[in-house]
Amino acid sequence: MLADDGVLFREGMARILADAGCTVTGQAGDGAALLAQVRADPPDVAVIDLRMPPGFTAEGIETAAAIRGCAPRVGLMLLSQYVEVHHALRLITEFDGGVGYLLKDRVSDLTAFAVDLRRVAAGDTVIDPELVARLVARRRERDPLDALTERERAVLALMAQGLSNAAVAADLHLAVKTVEAHVTSIFTKLGLVQHEREHRRVLAVLTFLRA
Amino acid sequence: MTRDGTYARAAAGAATAVLVVGGFALGRHVGNLHNGLIAASFTAVGLFVLRRSPRNPEGRLFVATGVAHAVMFAGRQYGLHPGPLPGASWVGWCGVWPLPVVLVLIGVTVMGFPDGRLPSRAWRPVVAALAVVGVVLSGVSALWPVEYARTGLIAAHPLHLPGAAAAEAFYAAARPVGYLLFQLTWAACVVVRLRTARGDEARQLRWFVYAVTVSAAVMVAGLLVWRSPIPGALTTPLIAAAAGAAILKYRLYDIDPVINRSLVFGAMAAVVTAGYAVMVTGVGRLVDGHGTLLSLVATGVVAVAFEPLRRRVQRVADRLVYGRRSTPYEALARLSAHLTAPAGGLLDGICTTVADAVGAREVTLWTGPPDSLRAVAIWPASSPLPASARPLSSLVAVPVRHDGGFRGALTVTKAPGDPLSPAEQRLVGDLAAQAGLVLQLRATAQRLVAAGDAARRRLERDLHDGAQQRLVTVAMELGAVVRSATDAGAADVAAQASSVRARLLEATAELREMARGLHPAVLTQDGLEAAIGFLADRSPVPVRLTVSIGRRLPAEAEATAYFVISEGLTNAAKHAAATVVSVSVSLTGHRLVVQVADDGCGGAEVRPGSGLEGLMDRLAIIDARLTIDSGPSGTRLRTVIPCG
Repeated sequence: MLADDGVLFREGMARILADAGCTVTGQAGDGAALLAQVRADPPDVAVIDLRMPPGFTAEGIETAAAIRGCAPRVGLMLLSQYVEVHHALRLITEFDGGVGYLLKDRVSDLTAFAVDLRRVAAGDTVIDPELVARLVARRRERDPLDALTERERAVLALMAQGLSNAAVAADLHLAVKTVEAHVTSIFTKLGLVQHEREHRRVLAVLTFLRA
Repeated sequence: MTRDGTYARAAAGAATAVLVVGGFALGRHVGNLHNGLIAASFTAVGLFVLRRSPRNPEGRLFVATGVAHAVMFAGRQYGLHPGPLPGASWVGWCGVWPLPVVLVLIGVTVMGFPDGRLPSRAWRPVVAALAVVGVVLSGVSALWPVEYARTGLIAAHPLHLPGAAAAEAFYAAARPVGYLLFQLTWAACVVVRLRTARGDEARQLRWFVYAVTVSAAVMVAGLLVWRSPIPGALTTPLIAAAAGAAILKYRLYDIDPVINRSLVFGAMAAVVTAGYAVMVTGVGRLVDGHGTLLSLVATGVVAVAFEPLRRRVQRVADRLVYGRRSTPYEALARLSAHLTAPAGGLLDGICTTVADAVGAREVTLWTGPPDSLRAVAIWPASSPLPASARPLSSLVAVPVRHDGGFRGALTVTKAPGDPLSPAEQRLVGDLAAQAGLVLQLRATAQRLVAAGDAARRRLERDLHDGAQQRLVTVAMELGAVVRSATDAGAADVAAQASSVRARLLEATAELREMARGLHPAVLTQDGLEAAIGFLADRSPVPVRLTVSIGRRLPAEAEATAYFVISEGLTNAAKHAAATVVSVSVSLTGHRLVVQVADDGCGGAEVRPGSGLEGLMDRLAIIDARLTIDSGPSGTRLRTVIPCG
């Protein structure tokens, strides 16, 4: 189910999602209309534009919160022209998994986008790589990230995007055991508490990166 | 008004008139002249005051002083008449012995001016002591002819008691001491009053002191030039008249400018006369026979020295008369100086100038429409700025207008009991007229900046909803092409489409950055704290953030703070080669303190067309200033942004 006030973009996305094997069960031009459709027929995932009428600020997050309130099993994928760290942190803090936050650009890589949608539907967390890259690249006075190896940084970046150990392993062509070792090493070096669930792990890592 | 009061006043007036006219008819004696004039003028003024305000204690003191002088004047005139006239011994006696007691009476009249009451209860014992001294001196004078040598009465003292030599010795010693005591006490009392007096009372006292000073000056000049006390004596009624006018506040004009001019005129006349006299007579004795030449030289010297001297004297006179307050001209000149080179906020400068001009305790400048005025500046700076908007009708304010339009208002608080004089009101009005143009320009500039900000916001939104959205949609459709080409086995088409899509995404990223630079959406949507976080995240130089704001601020304040920080971070990264930048933003009351400091090589300066110049312009219109400290140990930008 889709909600975006840009008709061309919405229609285009509906067409390619159908190509990717998804069924678009409904389209809406704003949060209120989407909420009504979700109530009537809850989909697996709702794709929501962050900036919508009436205020054109962050209505998408409010809509997502309302959907989570009435249909907790619906995955929520927020799309935006800009990705902002504080929005990401809010999404991870206020929602216990099953959320995604991506640049609209990502939709053009249909394969990857379809994977992200399925992850959100499955209750995982998806964070835009650009946002994570920005945080990892951020300059600090005494940078704790300096203690990490090149490989560990790559693992950290993927972890922050919400990938599970298995997904990180696949992405970096490593064995899952190796990734687990890297993760343990990262958490020790940064002084973070390990979390079993990926969602909690994203929160911990993003909070750390932002601090 | 009671009938008794009327009769008593009529009796006093008639008695004085008879005594004074009769006294003058008996002869002309220079030594008594002032007594007659005081008698006539003080009684007349006192009666006039009492007619206007029957219970006025100072009026009664004036009448008492006048009547006492009339008795003394008539007695002496009688006693001085050649003959001697019948009973001259006793009548003349009446004109001599009361003198010390009458002096005490004059003292009380002076000390009681202008309301007939002593400045405080602490003065009562002093007056009692004076009275005792006066009574003792008068008593001695009544019993023995100790004062007769000075009065020159023809008729002898009526009493012939033993111990005249001892009484003479006592009187000769006690009289100067007692008189000096009297004079010091009056002078001290008047000075105390002058120092503590405010408003009308201060003006009343200035009238009185001015008249006394003029009279004394004429007396001195008369003695010096004509060797005669007559000119001085003739001016004594002036004192009574000025005092009466002051008591009744009858057309009580501001006398300050008159005093000021008199001081300058008097001092300059004295200087010129003295200079001329020294040149012509002093030097003339040394080089005899060149009188004309010396006169010319003296004239030249005096002419050349005149203007610089006058300016100095004027400054001294200003300080004496106006004290901490500035003259109207000075006030306007200072405001002009503030407007050309503002030290501190422009609006603060207006408040300071007004406060200096009228000696106010507090001055507040308000702007906005008449039904909702907001305080924008206050003097002293330590006072809190009133937070809420107020209608003009609730303020005692001088409206600030420009070009026929209402621009704001000035409120002036003075010490209690010291209202604005008409002259001060006019001055505040003149200053307000100058402030009008400033407020008008400020409002215009603010509207321009707000319009500029709005245009940038609109452009950013148009890009967001238009070009960016379309490009993203096209990229998405290209993505679909890549996919179907791959499915169809056309690998080269897929690769080509994929490369086009990648370049398209680069373009959208670029466009995104441009839109952000125009006006960051995060600032409008999420406020200053989020926007500062965003700036810090992207800074190539590590940023140490200390931000405590806690609430959303007016859009122009947020935007201004954002641009200051953005400029500071850009400079630190581009030019300063800094290793760390600290950004601190804190909200205290209605002031947002923004500071960006780096540890780079310094050298930041405001060049025409530079970002810093733009920032300064932007800050100036909200009455904030950008301070730039740039040296080898780094650059620090600091500003305080007012936000209502």
